Amino acid sequence: MNWPRALLTDSGGFQMVSLLHLADITEEGVTFQSPVDGKPMLLTPEDSIQIQNKIGADIIMALDDVVKTTTTGPRVEEAMYRTLRWIDRCIAAHSRPHEQNLFGIVQGGLDPQLRDICLEGLVARNLPGYAIGGLAGGEGKDAFWRVVAQCTAGLPEDKPRYVMGIGFPLDIVVCTALGADMYDCVYPTRTARFGSALVSEGVLRLTHAAMATDYRPLDSSCTCMVCKRYTRAYLHTLVTKEAMGSQLVSYHNISHMMQLSRNLHSSILEGRFPEFVQSFLQKQFPKGDVPDWVCNAMDVAGIDISMCRIPQSA
Amino acid sequence: MLGISPSMALRFEVLARHNRARASRLTLPHYEALTPLFMPVGTQGTIKGLTNDQLEDLDCQIILGNTYHLALRPGADLLDTIGGLHKFMNWPRALLTDSGGFQMVSLLHLADITEEGVTFQSPVDGKPMLLTPEDSIQIQNKIGADIIMALDDVVKTTTTGPRVEEAMYRTLRWIDRCIAAHSRPHEQNLFGIVQGGLDPQLRDICLEGLVARNLPGYAIGGLAGGEGKDAFWRVVAQCTAGLPEDKPRYVMGIGFPLDIVVCTALGADMYDCVYPTRTARFGSALVSEGVLRLTHAAMATDYRPLDSSCTCMVCKRYTRAYLHTLVTKEAMGSQLVSYHNISHMMQLSRNLHSSILEGRFPEFVQSFLQKQFPKGDVPDWVCNAMDVAGIDISMCRIPQSA
Repeated sequence: MNWPRALLTDSGGFQMVSLLHLADITEEGVTFQSPVDGKPMLLTPEDSIQIQNKIGADIIMALDDVVKTTTTGPRVEEAMYRTLRWIDRCIAAHSRPHEQNLFGIVQGGLDPQLRDICLEGLVARNLPGYAIGGLAGGEGKDAFWRVVAQCTAGLPEDKPRYVMGIGFPLDIVVCTALGADMYDCVYPTRTARFGSALVSEGVLRLTHAAMATDYRPLDSSCTCMVCKRYTRAYLHTLVTKEAMGSQLVSYHNISHMMQLSRNLHSSILEGRFPEFVQSFLQKQFPKGDVPDWVCNAMDVAGIDISMCRIPQSA
Repeated sequence: MLGISPSMALRFEVLARHNRARASRLTLPHYEALTPLFMPVGTQGTIKGLTNDQLEDLDCQIILGNTYHLALRPGADLLDTIGGLHKFMNWPRALLTDSGGFQMVSLLHLADITEEGVTFQSPVDGKPMLLTPEDSIQIQNKIGADIIMALDDVVKTTTTGPRVEEAMYRTLRWIDRCIAAHSRPHEQNLFGIVQGGLDPQLRDICLEGLVARNLPGYAIGGLAGGEGKDAFWRVVAQCTAGLPEDKPRYVMGIGFPLDIVVCTALGADMYDCVYPTRTARFGSALVSEGVLRLTHAAMATDYRPLDSSCTCMVCKRYTRAYLHTLVTKEAMGSQLVSYHNISHMMQLSRNLHSSILEGRFPEFVQSFLQKQFPKGDVPDWVCNAMDVAGIDISMCRIPQSA
């Protein structure tokens, strides 16, 4: 693909479970129906790592036993312990440790005790980096931030921490405040294809009738090619009707996320992270209705956002 | 009856010739273009897959918009309010709009032509509607393109019988209505379209009538519709011979590089077609040797660029093998191959202009034909056309056994 920068590959497990019929997890691996000919197939931790070794990405992910966040009961514990057993098989199968970084994935659902056991087990393996998995799957926001906070507290200071499947700018800002470093999500490009643009104030629905005569750029503070060149009115005629609409809004949305990344890095680097968070929240919640979960998370993160919040009547 | 002589909003200067072929400068209200040139079709104000920045990078000079589609979305009145399509899509160069008639006839059920105009079923609510020459020109006045096309009565090239003659005479009557309805002759150039099917006598009558109206430019219409190549080039040759030397000549619906080279040799200047972008979406790339079908199994392990002589972004960055995985499966495939194909057409346009300008047009044509037909099997129709154009291509052709 002639991409000169870094690549990260996932293990393949999540797609199988979410996309394929009759996918089943056993101690051996993930059994599934081949989408090509319907025959039963198996993806083991060894298979996943071997394939990722061939793809050659800078960061590769362990095959983990991931359950839906809304799952309760013994399955969550089973998945957490299996993830630990599988990490050893992944480590053993990894043939290119000097070129590719194998990240372990912390599982354990929303149970702090299970998360602790998983954290301890993975940290003991002394991996190059760690991901916080099993979130972004329908859990409540309050449970979400608490798991992230617990995991970032339990992971080593000197290694990267990757929260998988996170893409809402607000979630990224909160997770960053709590100590995470890396994020991925289909959200920015997917929402673009549905005609939604990410802007400082939140989400701009370009399909809205009012957009038809709105000749401003998507985001007045954005300097990307799309905001320099096209108006909301023009994009309104394209979105959901012309491939070009998806293309242009995707371009802007990715630009938005990259600008967010740069802003997070430089505001922390320059000692003005709290100001950045405050400014971010004020633009997203101009009426001061910052959600409780954000306030609680920022408390734990030690960031004062009292000026962003106007007390809501009960 | 002579129409009033409309003002022109363009300047056309022939800079160099080789026999019938011309290299010219076409100065339009929004842009100074060099011809021969190919115009990509933007349908609704966007070339599928390409941003404005990319179109400028590729040196696109004039883009074509379809009046029918634009009138539906975003609508003529909205465009009028904002100051025209140029402003709306933020395209700083030239635009050309067609009359809307062709789309109606080809896309809609129950489209019917009467003396009044084109009656059709509204695609929005199914109600009967009418597009008259006056309507077409008014909509085009609101869209604001540098070149606008007369509403003509166009018949399928394969049509025979009295309908062809009827359509030709109606096209002449309608040009007067178009001229009368045109409210912005100092900003927009109304081109007439020569009809008459494949009948030389009808074509002559139409040519005479349109030339007498002293329009800023002329199109050769009613071709690229299934006629045999032999009939095709002869009509082009007749029309270019009958049109004024000092005005641009636009052959509508032509996009195969070979056709463009032949028509240029015969004296045409402008071309448009959906072909380059449409064929891209089917996985076909335009290259010096012809057409490269990226879906072919052999492409899976072919790590060369699309065209070794192409310097476009796609050829610099991506291999055939990579594009093979994308085409017909990922939108990105269409996008990248479209980009390359438009680049190819723009390079062809530049090559035609500069080879004529620099006095080496025959060499360019010979080299072009040798790459397209390495076995020497140049089709008869091309040979006959080049004869009339006065270009020697004997070295390109190895006599085929009967």
